[in-house]
Amino acid sequence: MNVADLWRANSVHRAAYVDPAVFALEQERIFRRAWLYVAHESEVPQPGDYVLRRLGPDEVLLVRGEDRSLALLHNRCAHRGARIVAQPAGNARQFRCPYHSWTYALDGRLIGMPLPEGYAAKVELGLARVARVDSYRGFVFGSHAAEGPGLAEFLGGLASAFDNMLDRAPAGTVSRFGGELRLEYRGNWKMFMENAVDLVHPNFVHRSSVEAAREQPQALAADGLTQQGAQMFLANGMRAPEWDKVPLHAFPGGHVTMGGFYRSGVIAPERADPVYERYRAQLVERHGAEKAAAVLAVDRFNNLVWPTVSVNSRFAALRVVQPLAADRTVVEVQCFRLEGADAAMHDLTLQFVNLAASPASLVASDDLELFERCQRGLQGAASDWIDVRRGALADRPQPDGSTLGSGTSELAIRHQFATWLQYVTR
Amino acid sequence: MKDELEAFVLEEARLLDERRFSDWLALFAEDGVYWVPTNPRQASPQEALSLFYEPKPLLAMRVARLERPDMHVQSPASRTVHHVSAVEVSGDLEVRSALVVAEWRAGDARWFAGRVLHRLRREAQGLRIVLKRVDLIDSEAPQRAIAVPF
Repeated sequence: MNVADLWRANSVHRAAYVDPAVFALEQERIFRRAWLYVAHESEVPQPGDYVLRRLGPDEVLLVRGEDRSLALLHNRCAHRGARIVAQPAGNARQFRCPYHSWTYALDGRLIGMPLPEGYAAKVELGLARVARVDSYRGFVFGSHAAEGPGLAEFLGGLASAFDNMLDRAPAGTVSRFGGELRLEYRGNWKMFMENAVDLVHPNFVHRSSVEAAREQPQALAADGLTQQGAQMFLANGMRAPEWDKVPLHAFPGGHVTMGGFYRSGVIAPERADPVYERYRAQLVERHGAEKAAAVLAVDRFNNLVWPTVSVNSRFAALRVVQPLAADRTVVEVQCFRLEGADAAMHDLTLQFVNLAASPASLVASDDLELFERCQRGLQGAASDWIDVRRGALADRPQPDGSTLGSGTSELAIRHQFATWLQYVTR
Repeated sequence: MKDELEAFVLEEARLLDERRFSDWLALFAEDGVYWVPTNPRQASPQEALSLFYEPKPLLAMRVARLERPDMHVQSPASRTVHHVSAVEVSGDLEVRSALVVAEWRAGDARWFAGRVLHRLRREAQGLRIVLKRVDLIDSEAPQRAIAVPF
Protein backbone atom coordinates (compact mmCIF):
# COMPACT_ATOMS: atom_id res chain seq x y z
CA MET A 1 0.00 0.00 0.00
CA ASN A 2 1.15 3.56 -0.73
CA VAL A 3 1.46 5.63 2.43
CA ALA A 4 -0.17 8.56 0.60
CA ASP A 5 -3.37 6.52 0.51
CA LEU A 6 -3.64 6.15 4.29
CA TRP A 7 -5.27 9.53 4.91
CA ARG A 8 -8.33 10.77 3.00
CA ALA A 9 -9.41 14.16 4.37
CA ASN A 10 -11.87 12.74 6.94
CA SER A 11 -10.74 9.20 7.53
CA VAL A 12 -7.54 7.35 8.29
CA HIS A 13 -6.52 3.80 7.44
CA ARG A 14 -5.86 1.59 10.48
CA ALA A 15 -2.40 0.78 9.09
CA ALA A 16 -1.33 4.25 10.28
CA TYR A 17 -1.64 2.89 13.84
CA VAL A 18 -0.76 -0.80 13.60
CA ASP A 19 1.61 -1.41 10.68
CA PRO A 20 5.31 -1.69 11.69
CA ALA A 21 6.32 -0.62 8.16
CA VAL A 22 4.39 2.64 8.59
CA PHE A 23 6.10 3.14 11.97
CA ALA A 24 9.53 2.65 10.37
CA LEU A 25 8.60 5.24 7.75
CA GLU A 26 7.48 7.65 10.47
CA GLN A 27 10.83 7.24 12.23
CA GLU A 28 12.68 8.21 9.05
CA ARG A 29 10.38 10.90 7.73
CA ILE A 30 8.93 12.49 10.89
CA PHE A 31 11.30 11.76 13.77
CA ARG A 32 14.47 12.25 11.72
CA ARG A 33 13.18 15.61 10.43
CA ALA A 34 10.98 17.45 12.90
CA TRP A 35 12.29 19.42 15.88
CA LEU A 36 11.91 17.14 18.91
CA TYR A 37 12.09 18.26 22.54
CA VAL A 38 15.32 17.28 24.30
CA ALA A 39 15.60 18.95 27.71
CA HIS A 40 15.55 22.28 29.51
CA GLU A 41 18.79 24.24 29.84
CA SER A 42 18.42 24.24 33.64
CA GLU A 43 19.11 20.49 33.59
CA VAL A 44 22.70 21.11 32.45
CA PRO A 45 23.71 24.34 34.24
CA GLN A 46 27.47 23.70 34.70
CA PRO A 47 30.27 22.85 32.24
CA GLY A 48 30.43 19.06 31.96
CA ASP A 49 26.79 18.52 32.95
CA TYR A 50 24.99 16.07 30.71
CA VAL A 51 21.62 14.35 30.39
CA LEU A 52 20.86 11.21 28.42
CA ARG A 53 17.70 11.39 26.29
CA ARG A 54 15.95 9.85 23.33
CA LEU A 55 15.68 11.87 20.15
CA GLY A 56 13.33 9.92 17.90
CA PRO A 57 14.98 6.57 17.23
CA ASP A 58 18.35 7.48 18.75
CA GLU A 59 19.83 7.95 22.20
CA VAL A 60 21.58 11.29 22.60
CA LEU A 61 23.58 13.27 25.14
CA LEU A 62 22.91 16.95 25.78
CA VAL A 63 26.20 18.31 27.13
CA ARG A 64 27.18 21.73 28.51
CA GLY A 65 30.69 22.48 27.21
CA GLU A 66 33.61 24.27 28.90
CA ASP A 67 32.62 27.37 26.91
CA ARG A 68 29.00 26.91 28.15
CA SER A 69 27.75 26.07 24.66
CA LEU A 70 25.42 23.08 24.23
CA ALA A 71 26.34 19.99 22.22
CA LEU A 72 23.88 17.27 21.25
CA LEU A 73 25.81 14.05 20.62
CA HIS A 74 24.86 10.51 19.71
CA ASN A 75 25.58 8.21 22.67
CA ARG A 76 27.48 5.72 20.54
CA CYS A 77 31.21 5.14 20.44
CA ALA A 78 32.70 5.99 17.04
CA HIS A 79 34.84 2.82 17.29
CA ARG A 80 32.69 -0.27 17.79
CA GLY A 81 29.35 1.35 18.55
CA ALA A 82 29.05 0.75 22.31
CA ARG A 83 26.72 2.96 24.29
CA ILE A 84 29.15 5.19 26.17
CA VAL A 85 27.07 6.79 28.92
CA ALA A 86 24.67 4.60 30.90
CA GLN A 87 23.70 7.03 33.68
CA PRO A 88 20.64 9.20 32.99
CA ALA A 89 22.47 12.37 34.06
CA GLY A 90 25.78 13.48 35.53
CA ASN A 91 28.87 15.62 35.21
CA ALA A 92 31.93 14.60 33.19
CA ARG A 93 35.25 16.11 32.12
CA GLN A 94 35.32 13.77 29.13
CA PHE A 95 33.50 10.69 27.87
CA ARG A 96 35.41 7.43 27.81
CA CYS A 97 34.10 4.28 26.16
CA PRO A 98 34.34 1.32 28.55
CA TYR A 99 35.12 -1.09 25.68
CA HIS A 100 38.48 0.03 24.19
CA SER A 101 38.87 3.35 25.98
CA TRP A 102 38.33 5.71 23.08
CA THR A 103 37.96 9.08 24.81
CA TYR A 104 36.03 12.14 23.71
CA ALA A 105 35.95 15.80 24.75
CA LEU A 106 32.67 17.36 25.87
CA ASP A 107 32.07 18.53 22.30
CA GLY A 108 32.50 14.99 20.96
CA ARG A 109 36.06 15.33 19.53
CA LEU A 110 38.20 12.19 19.84
CA ILE A 111 41.03 13.06 22.25
CA GLY A 112 42.47 9.67 23.12
CA MET A 113 42.66 6.03 22.10
CA PRO A 114 44.94 3.09 22.74
CA LEU A 115 47.47 2.00 20.07
CA PRO A 116 47.23 4.98 17.71
CA GLU A 117 50.30 3.55 15.94
CA GLY A 118 48.03 0.77 14.66
CA TYR A 119 46.46 3.25 12.24
CA ALA A 120 48.08 4.58 9.08
CA ALA A 121 46.80 8.09 9.71
CA LYS A 122 45.48 10.03 12.70
CA VAL A 123 41.91 8.92 13.45
CA GLU A 124 39.54 11.87 13.24
CA LEU A 125 36.33 10.10 14.21
CA GLY A 126 34.34 11.73 16.99
CA LEU A 127 30.96 11.22 18.60
CA ALA A 128 28.41 11.97 15.89
CA ARG A 129 26.64 15.27 16.43
CA VAL A 130 22.91 15.62 15.95
CA ALA A 131 22.44 17.78 12.86
CA ARG A 132 20.77 20.70 14.61
CA VAL A 133 20.27 21.79 18.20
CA ASP A 134 18.62 25.02 19.28
CA SER A 135 16.96 26.49 22.34
CA TYR A 136 13.74 28.45 22.50
CA ARG A 137 14.13 30.55 25.66
CA GLY A 138 15.75 27.63 27.51
CA PHE A 139 13.69 24.78 26.02
CA VAL A 140 16.17 22.75 23.96
CA PHE A 141 15.08 20.95 20.81
CA GLY A 142 17.06 18.83 18.37
CA SER A 143 16.55 17.82 14.76
CA HIS A 144 18.25 14.98 12.92
CA ALA A 145 17.76 16.88 9.65
CA ALA A 146 20.45 19.34 8.54
CA GLU A 147 17.91 21.21 6.42
CA GLY A 148 14.45 22.49 7.22
CA PRO A 149 12.72 25.32 9.03
CA GLY A 150 14.47 26.79 12.06
CA LEU A 151 13.14 26.12 15.56
CA ALA A 152 11.26 29.43 15.91
CA GLU A 153 9.59 28.89 12.54
CA PHE A 154 8.76 25.28 13.45
CA LEU A 155 7.15 26.30 16.75
CA GLY A 156 5.19 29.09 15.05
CA GLY A 157 2.04 29.94 17.00
CA LEU A 158 2.95 27.46 19.75
CA ALA A 159 6.00 29.42 20.92
CA SER A 160 3.44 31.38 22.94
CA ALA A 161 2.88 28.33 25.17
CA PHE A 162 6.50 28.55 26.35
CA ASP A 163 6.29 32.35 26.54
CA ASN A 164 3.25 32.10 28.79
CA MET A 165 4.98 29.62 31.13
CA LEU A 166 7.92 32.03 31.48
CA ASP A 167 5.58 35.02 31.92
CA ARG A 168 3.95 33.14 34.80
CA ALA A 169 7.28 33.02 36.67
CA PRO A 170 7.78 36.05 38.93
CA ALA A 171 11.53 35.99 38.14
CA GLY A 172 10.94 35.41 34.41
CA THR A 173 12.70 32.04 34.33
CA VAL A 174 11.76 28.43 34.98
CA SER A 175 13.83 25.40 35.97
CA ARG A 176 13.21 21.68 35.89
CA PHE A 177 12.63 19.94 39.21
CA GLY A 178 11.01 16.86 40.68
CA GLY A 179 12.35 14.13 38.41
CA GLU A 180 9.80 12.65 36.06
CA LEU A 181 6.83 10.34 35.78
CA ARG A 182 6.90 7.82 32.95
CA LEU A 183 3.81 6.19 31.48
CA GLU A 184 3.77 3.39 29.00
CA TYR A 185 1.01 1.96 26.86
CA ARG A 186 0.78 -0.74 24.23
CA GLY A 187 -0.55 1.59 21.63
CA ASN A 188 0.50 4.00 18.90
CA TRP A 189 2.11 7.34 19.78
CA LYS A 190 -0.48 9.32 17.80
CA MET A 191 -3.24 8.22 20.17
CA PHE A 192 -1.75 10.29 22.98
CA MET A 193 -1.50 13.42 20.79
CA GLU A 194 -5.08 12.96 19.57
CA ASN A 195 -6.57 12.25 22.98
CA ALA A 196 -4.94 15.32 24.56
CA VAL A 197 -7.23 17.51 22.44
CA ASP A 198 -10.30 15.22 22.33
CA LEU A 199 -12.98 16.78 24.48
CA VAL A 200 -15.73 14.28 23.89
CA HIS A 201 -13.95 11.42 25.65
CA PRO A 202 -13.67 12.84 29.21
CA ASN A 203 -17.35 12.47 30.02
CA PHE A 204 -17.21 8.78 29.13
CA VAL A 205 -13.67 7.64 29.80
CA HIS A 206 -13.36 9.53 33.09
CA ARG A 207 -16.91 8.95 34.34
CA SER A 208 -15.76 6.78 37.26
CA SER A 209 -13.49 9.49 38.71
CA VAL A 210 -16.17 12.17 38.16
CA GLU A 211 -18.69 10.08 40.12
CA ALA A 212 -16.14 9.12 42.78
CA ALA A 213 -15.51 12.83 43.41
CA ARG A 214 -19.26 13.55 43.46
CA GLU A 215 -19.68 10.88 46.12
CA GLN A 216 -17.24 12.80 48.33
CA PRO A 217 -18.62 16.38 48.28
CA GLN A 218 -16.73 17.23 51.46
CA ALA A 219 -13.48 16.92 49.49
CA LEU A 220 -14.01 20.30 47.85
CA ALA A 221 -13.79 21.88 51.28
CA ALA A 222 -10.80 19.82 52.41
CA ASP A 223 -7.10 20.65 52.35
CA GLY A 224 -5.60 22.25 49.22
CA LEU A 225 -4.34 19.00 47.75
CA THR A 226 -7.63 17.14 48.09
CA GLN A 227 -9.54 20.15 46.79
CA GLN A 228 -7.28 20.39 43.74
CA GLY A 229 -7.81 16.70 43.03
CA ALA A 230 -11.58 16.85 43.44
CA GLN A 231 -11.81 19.88 41.14
CA MET A 232 -9.76 18.14 38.49
CA PHE A 233 -11.83 14.96 38.64
CA LEU A 234 -15.15 16.84 38.59
CA ALA A 235 -14.06 18.96 35.61
CA ASN A 236 -14.23 15.94 33.32
CA GLY A 237 -17.95 15.63 34.02
CA MET A 238 -19.01 18.53 31.78
CA ARG A 239 -21.54 17.73 29.07
CA ALA A 240 -21.03 18.17 25.35
CA PRO A 241 -22.65 21.63 25.09
CA GLU A 242 -20.20 22.91 27.70
CA TRP A 243 -17.16 21.28 26.07
CA ASP A 244 -18.34 22.77 22.80
CA LYS A 245 -17.45 26.21 24.13
CA VAL A 246 -13.81 25.23 24.57
CA PRO A 247 -12.18 26.39 21.33
CA LEU A 248 -9.68 24.23 19.45
CA HIS A 249 -7.09 26.12 17.44
CA ALA A 250 -5.05 24.20 14.86
CA PHE A 251 -1.83 25.83 13.62
CA PRO A 252 0.37 24.98 10.63
CA GLY A 253 2.74 22.12 11.46
CA GLY A 254 0.21 19.96 13.29
CA HIS A 255 0.26 22.05 16.47
CA VAL A 256 -3.02 22.49 18.38
CA THR A 257 -4.19 24.44 21.39
CA MET A 258 -7.25 23.81 23.48
CA GLY A 259 -8.43 27.02 25.12
CA GLY A 260 -11.07 28.56 27.31
CA PHE A 261 -10.65 26.08 30.13
CA TYR A 262 -10.64 28.55 32.95
CA ARG A 263 -13.04 30.99 31.32
CA SER A 264 -15.66 28.31 30.80
CA GLY A 265 -15.23 27.08 34.35
CA VAL A 266 -13.63 23.72 33.61
CA ILE A 267 -10.98 24.60 36.13
CA ALA A 268 -11.32 27.47 38.58
CA PRO A 269 -9.83 30.50 36.77
CA GLU A 270 -7.82 31.59 39.75
CA ARG A 271 -7.39 30.51 43.28
CA ALA A 272 -8.34 32.73 46.18
CA ASP A 273 -6.00 31.48 48.92
CA PRO A 274 -3.11 33.44 50.48
CA VAL A 275 -0.49 31.49 48.50
CA TYR A 276 -2.08 32.46 45.23
CA GLU A 277 -2.72 36.07 46.32
CA ARG A 278 0.95 36.53 47.08
CA TYR A 279 1.89 34.93 43.76
CA ARG A 280 -0.44 37.27 41.87
CA ALA A 281 1.04 40.26 43.69
CA GLN A 282 4.53 39.14 42.59
CA LEU A 283 3.37 38.94 38.98
CA VAL A 284 1.84 42.41 39.20
CA GLU A 285 5.17 43.65 40.53
CA ARG A 286 6.97 42.13 37.54
CA HIS A 287 4.56 42.91 34.72
CA GLY A 288 2.26 45.67 35.97
CA ALA A 289 -1.40 45.02 36.73
CA GLU A 290 -2.62 44.98 33.15
CA LYS A 291 -0.09 42.55 31.72
CA ALA A 292 -0.18 40.33 34.83
CA ALA A 293 -3.94 39.96 34.37
CA ALA A 294 -3.41 39.14 30.69
CA VAL A 295 -0.74 36.52 31.50
CA LEU A 296 -2.99 34.80 34.02
CA ALA A 297 -5.96 35.02 31.65
CA VAL A 298 -4.28 32.79 29.04
CA ASP A 299 -6.50 29.80 29.59
CA ARG A 300 -5.29 27.18 27.15
CA PHE A 301 -5.01 23.83 28.85
CA ASN A 302 -3.11 21.54 26.50
CA ASN A 303 -0.78 23.06 23.92
CA LEU A 304 0.47 20.45 21.46
CA VAL A 305 3.78 20.98 19.73
CA TRP A 306 3.43 18.23 17.17
CA PRO A 307 4.71 15.54 17.01
CA THR A 308 5.92 14.96 20.58
CA VAL A 309 5.20 17.62 23.21
CA SER A 310 2.16 18.72 25.18
CA VAL A 311 2.71 21.92 27.17
CA ASN A 312 0.63 22.98 30.15
CA SER A 313 1.69 26.58 30.84
CA ARG A 314 -0.39 27.24 33.94
CA PHE A 315 0.67 24.10 35.76
CA ALA A 316 4.23 24.40 34.36
CA ALA A 317 4.42 20.88 33.00
CA LEU A 318 5.43 19.12 29.79
CA ARG A 319 4.47 15.69 28.54
CA VAL A 320 6.95 14.34 26.02
CA VAL A 321 5.96 11.44 23.78
CA GLN A 322 8.52 8.79 22.87
CA PRO A 323 7.36 6.43 20.13
CA LEU A 324 9.05 3.04 20.61
CA ALA A 325 7.12 0.84 18.18
CA ALA A 326 3.84 0.96 16.26
CA ASP A 327 2.19 -0.49 19.37
CA ARG A 328 4.41 0.83 22.14
CA THR A 329 4.76 4.37 23.49
CA VAL A 330 6.30 6.00 26.54
CA VAL A 331 5.19 9.42 27.78
CA GLU A 332 7.55 11.29 30.07
CA VAL A 333 6.02 13.93 32.33
CA GLN A 334 8.20 16.76 33.62
CA CYS A 335 7.51 19.85 35.66
CA PHE A 336 9.10 23.23 36.27
CA ARG A 337 9.61 25.69 39.09
CA LEU A 338 8.22 29.12 38.32
CA GLU A 339 11.31 30.91 39.62
CA GLY A 340 10.61 33.64 42.13
CA ALA A 341 7.37 32.05 43.33
CA ASP A 342 6.98 30.61 46.83
CA ALA A 343 7.70 26.95 47.51
CA ALA A 344 3.98 26.42 48.04
CA MET A 345 3.40 27.17 44.35
CA HIS A 346 5.94 24.51 43.38
CA ASP A 347 4.10 22.05 45.64
CA LEU A 348 0.87 22.75 43.75
CA THR A 349 2.65 21.99 40.47
CA LEU A 350 3.96 18.65 41.76
CA GLN A 351 0.61 17.68 43.20
CA PHE A 352 -1.26 18.61 40.05
CA VAL A 353 1.09 16.52 37.93
CA ASN A 354 0.92 13.56 40.34
CA LEU A 355 -2.88 13.60 40.25
CA ALA A 356 -3.31 14.27 36.54
CA ALA A 357 -0.47 12.39 34.91
CA SER A 358 0.87 9.52 37.02
CA PRO A 359 0.30 6.04 35.57
CA ALA A 360 -1.67 5.51 38.80
CA SER A 361 -3.73 8.70 38.28
CA LEU A 362 -7.49 8.28 38.58
CA VAL A 363 -7.69 10.12 35.26
CA ALA A 364 -4.66 9.09 33.18
CA SER A 365 -4.99 5.36 33.95
CA ASP A 366 -8.29 5.17 32.07
CA ASP A 367 -6.77 7.02 29.09
CA LEU A 368 -3.99 4.43 28.96
CA GLU A 369 -6.56 1.64 29.08
CA LEU A 370 -8.45 3.15 26.14
CA PHE A 371 -5.28 3.55 24.05
CA GLU A 372 -4.59 -0.15 24.54
CA ARG A 373 -8.16 -1.07 23.68
CA CYS A 374 -7.97 0.99 20.47
CA GLN A 375 -4.70 -0.64 19.50
CA ARG A 376 -6.11 -4.13 20.03
CA GLY A 377 -9.30 -3.25 18.21
CA LEU A 378 -7.48 -1.78 15.23
CA GLN A 379 -5.43 -4.94 14.76
CA GLY A 380 -8.67 -6.56 13.64
CA ALA A 381 -9.74 -5.93 10.04
CA ALA A 382 -13.45 -5.37 10.67
CA SER A 383 -13.01 -2.17 8.67
CA ASP A 384 -9.87 -0.49 7.39
CA TRP A 385 -11.09 3.08 7.78
CA ILE A 386 -11.50 5.21 10.91
CA ASP A 387 -13.90 8.11 10.54
CA VAL A 388 -12.87 11.45 12.08
CA ARG A 389 -15.22 13.85 10.34
CA ARG A 390 -17.19 15.06 13.40
CA GLY A 391 -17.44 18.85 13.29
CA ALA A 392 -15.69 19.22 9.92
CA LEU A 393 -18.46 21.39 8.49
CA ALA A 394 -17.87 23.91 11.29
CA ASP A 395 -14.08 24.31 10.77
CA ARG A 396 -13.26 28.04 10.50
CA PRO A 397 -10.05 28.76 8.54
CA GLN A 398 -8.28 31.93 9.71
CA PRO A 399 -6.31 34.50 7.67
CA ASP A 400 -3.03 33.43 9.35
CA GLY A 401 -3.35 29.87 8.02
CA SER A 402 -4.65 28.40 11.29
CA THR A 403 -8.10 26.85 11.76
CA LEU A 404 -10.58 27.24 14.60
CA GLY A 405 -13.09 24.62 15.66
CA SER A 406 -15.23 23.83 18.66
CA GLY A 407 -14.22 21.57 21.53
CA THR A 408 -16.34 18.66 20.35
CA SER A 409 -14.90 18.71 16.82
CA GLU A 410 -12.39 16.16 15.56
CA LEU A 411 -10.55 19.06 13.90
CA ALA A 412 -7.37 18.39 15.88
CA ILE A 413 -7.11 14.79 14.64
CA ARG A 414 -7.79 15.78 11.02
CA HIS A 415 -5.25 18.54 11.30
CA GLN A 416 -2.55 16.29 12.76
CA PHE A 417 -3.09 13.73 9.99
CA ALA A 418 -2.90 16.40 7.28
CA THR A 419 0.53 17.35 8.68
CA TRP A 420 1.47 13.68 9.10
CA LEU A 421 0.71 13.07 5.43
CA GLN A 422 2.98 15.95 4.38
CA TYR A 423 5.86 14.45 6.36
CA VAL A 424 5.48 10.80 5.37
CA THR A 425 4.97 11.43 1.63
CA ARG A 426 8.05 13.65 1.20
CA MET B 1 4.24 -6.81 69.84
CA LYS B 2 6.06 -8.01 66.74
CA ASP B 3 3.38 -10.65 66.14
CA GLU B 4 0.64 -8.06 66.41
CA LEU B 5 2.28 -5.61 63.97
CA GLU B 6 3.20 -8.36 61.53
CA ALA B 7 -0.37 -9.65 61.59
CA PHE B 8 -1.56 -6.10 60.90
CA VAL B 9 0.54 -5.60 57.74
CA LEU B 10 -0.33 -9.09 56.45
CA GLU B 11 -4.02 -8.36 56.97
CA GLU B 12 -3.68 -5.01 55.23
CA ALA B 13 -2.13 -6.68 52.17
CA ARG B 14 -4.76 -9.44 52.13
CA LEU B 15 -7.60 -6.89 52.07
CA LEU B 16 -6.17 -5.55 48.79
CA ASP B 17 -6.00 -9.05 47.30
CA GLU B 18 -9.59 -9.67 48.37
CA ARG B 19 -10.63 -6.32 46.86
CA ARG B 20 -12.11 -5.23 50.19
CA PHE B 21 -11.02 -1.68 49.44
CA SER B 22 -13.33 0.08 51.93
CA ASP B 23 -12.04 -2.14 54.73
CA TRP B 24 -8.51 -1.37 53.55
CA LEU B 25 -9.20 2.39 53.61
CA ALA B 26 -10.56 2.09 57.16
CA LEU B 27 -7.11 0.97 58.32
CA PHE B 28 -5.75 4.45 57.59
CA ALA B 29 -5.83 7.11 60.31
CA GLU B 30 -7.81 10.22 59.40
CA ASP B 31 -4.50 12.01 58.76
CA GLY B 32 -2.98 8.91 57.15
CA VAL B 33 -1.14 9.02 53.82
CA TYR B 34 -0.43 6.43 51.13
CA TRP B 35 2.78 7.28 49.29
CA VAL B 36 4.70 5.70 46.39
CA PRO B 37 7.61 8.01 45.47
CA THR B 38 9.39 8.04 42.12
CA ASN B 39 12.76 8.32 43.83
CA PRO B 40 13.86 5.98 46.64
CA ARG B 41 16.02 8.73 48.16
CA GLN B 42 13.10 11.14 48.30
CA ALA B 43 12.65 12.48 51.82
CA SER B 44 9.42 14.37 51.17
CA PRO B 45 6.70 14.58 48.52
CA GLN B 46 7.80 18.19 47.92
CA GLU B 47 11.11 17.04 46.45
CA ALA B 48 9.88 15.05 43.50
CA LEU B 49 6.93 13.61 41.66
CA SER B 50 5.16 10.59 43.12
CA LEU B 51 3.29 7.70 41.55
CA PHE B 52 0.86 8.08 44.45
CA TYR B 53 0.76 10.76 47.13
CA GLU B 54 -2.67 10.50 48.65
CA PRO B 55 -3.87 11.69 52.04
CA LYS B 56 -6.95 9.78 53.19
CA PRO B 57 -9.60 12.03 51.53
CA LEU B 58 -7.96 11.48 48.12
CA LEU B 59 -7.49 7.80 48.86
CA ALA B 60 -11.23 7.69 49.63
CA MET B 61 -11.93 8.87 46.07
CA ARG B 62 -9.61 6.20 44.71
CA VAL B 63 -11.47 3.55 46.72
CA ALA B 64 -14.88 4.89 45.69
CA ARG B 65 -13.75 4.57 42.06
CA LEU B 66 -12.44 1.04 42.58
CA GLU B 67 -15.94 0.04 43.63
CA ARG B 68 -17.61 1.40 40.49
CA PRO B 69 -18.41 -0.76 37.44
CA ASP B 70 -17.45 2.01 34.97
CA MET B 71 -13.75 2.08 35.93
CA HIS B 72 -12.48 0.96 32.55
CA VAL B 73 -8.99 0.06 33.67
CA GLN B 74 -10.54 -2.44 36.13
CA SER B 75 -12.92 -4.01 33.65
CA PRO B 76 -12.09 -6.84 33.93
CA ALA B 77 -10.73 -6.51 37.46
CA SER B 78 -7.15 -7.34 38.43
CA ARG B 79 -6.34 -10.38 40.49
CA THR B 80 -3.39 -9.76 42.76
CA VAL B 81 -1.20 -11.45 45.32
CA HIS B 82 0.59 -9.11 47.71
CA HIS B 83 3.45 -11.19 49.10
CA VAL B 84 4.79 -9.59 52.29
CA SER B 85 7.95 -10.93 53.89
CA ALA B 86 11.05 -9.99 55.87
CA VAL B 87 8.94 -8.07 58.39
CA GLU B 88 10.97 -6.02 60.87
CA VAL B 89 9.44 -4.09 63.72
CA SER B 90 10.86 -1.19 65.71
CA GLY B 91 9.72 0.02 69.12
CA ASP B 92 8.06 3.17 67.81
CA LEU B 93 5.41 1.32 65.77
CA GLU B 94 7.37 1.32 62.53
CA VAL B 95 7.23 -1.80 60.39
CA ARG B 96 9.55 -2.49 57.47
CA SER B 97 8.90 -5.27 55.02
CA ALA B 98 9.64 -6.58 51.55
CA LEU B 99 6.78 -6.70 49.05
CA VAL B 100 6.23 -8.53 45.79
CA VAL B 101 2.94 -7.98 43.99
CA ALA B 102 1.86 -10.29 41.20
CA GLU B 103 -1.02 -9.01 39.10
CA TRP B 104 -3.08 -10.71 36.42
CA ARG B 105 -5.50 -8.72 34.30
CA ALA B 106 -7.01 -8.96 30.83
CA GLY B 107 -4.52 -11.51 29.56
CA ASP B 108 -1.38 -9.97 31.02
CA ALA B 109 0.65 -10.85 34.10
CA ARG B 110 3.09 -8.42 35.69
CA TRP B 111 5.11 -8.07 38.84
CA PHE B 112 6.14 -5.26 41.14
CA ALA B 113 8.70 -5.43 43.95
CA GLY B 114 9.78 -3.01 46.61
CA ARG B 115 10.38 -2.16 50.23
CA VAL B 116 7.54 -0.97 52.42
CA LEU B 117 7.50 1.26 55.48
CA HIS B 118 4.40 1.33 57.69
CA ARG B 119 4.24 4.04 60.34
CA LEU B 120 1.40 3.09 62.69
CA ARG B 121 -0.48 4.63 65.59
CA ARG B 122 -2.55 3.05 68.31
CA GLU B 123 -6.04 4.54 68.27
CA ALA B 124 -9.26 3.68 70.13
CA GLN B 125 -10.35 1.24 67.39
CA GLY B 126 -6.91 -0.36 67.10
CA LEU B 127 -3.81 0.13 65.01
CA ARG B 128 -4.10 2.70 62.21
CA ILE B 129 -1.76 3.65 59.35
CA VAL B 130 -0.23 7.10 59.57
CA LEU B 131 2.02 6.47 56.57
CA LYS B 132 2.40 3.59 54.15
CA ARG B 133 5.37 4.22 51.91
CA VAL B 134 6.22 1.83 49.08
CA ASP B 135 9.59 2.19 47.34
CA LEU B 136 9.45 0.16 44.14
CA ILE B 137 12.77 -1.14 42.82
CA ASP B 138 11.84 0.36 39.45
CA SER B 139 10.13 3.49 40.75
CA GLU B 140 11.42 5.61 37.86
CA ALA B 141 10.57 3.12 35.13
CA PRO B 142 7.75 3.62 32.64
CA GLN B 143 4.61 1.91 33.96
CA ARG B 144 1.41 0.86 32.29
CA ALA B 145 -1.78 1.92 34.07
CA ILE B 146 -1.78 1.11 37.78
CA ALA B 147 -5.15 0.66 39.46
CA VAL B 148 -4.76 -1.51 42.57
CA PRO B 149 -2.52 0.00 45.29
CA PHE B 150 0.66 -1.88 46.23
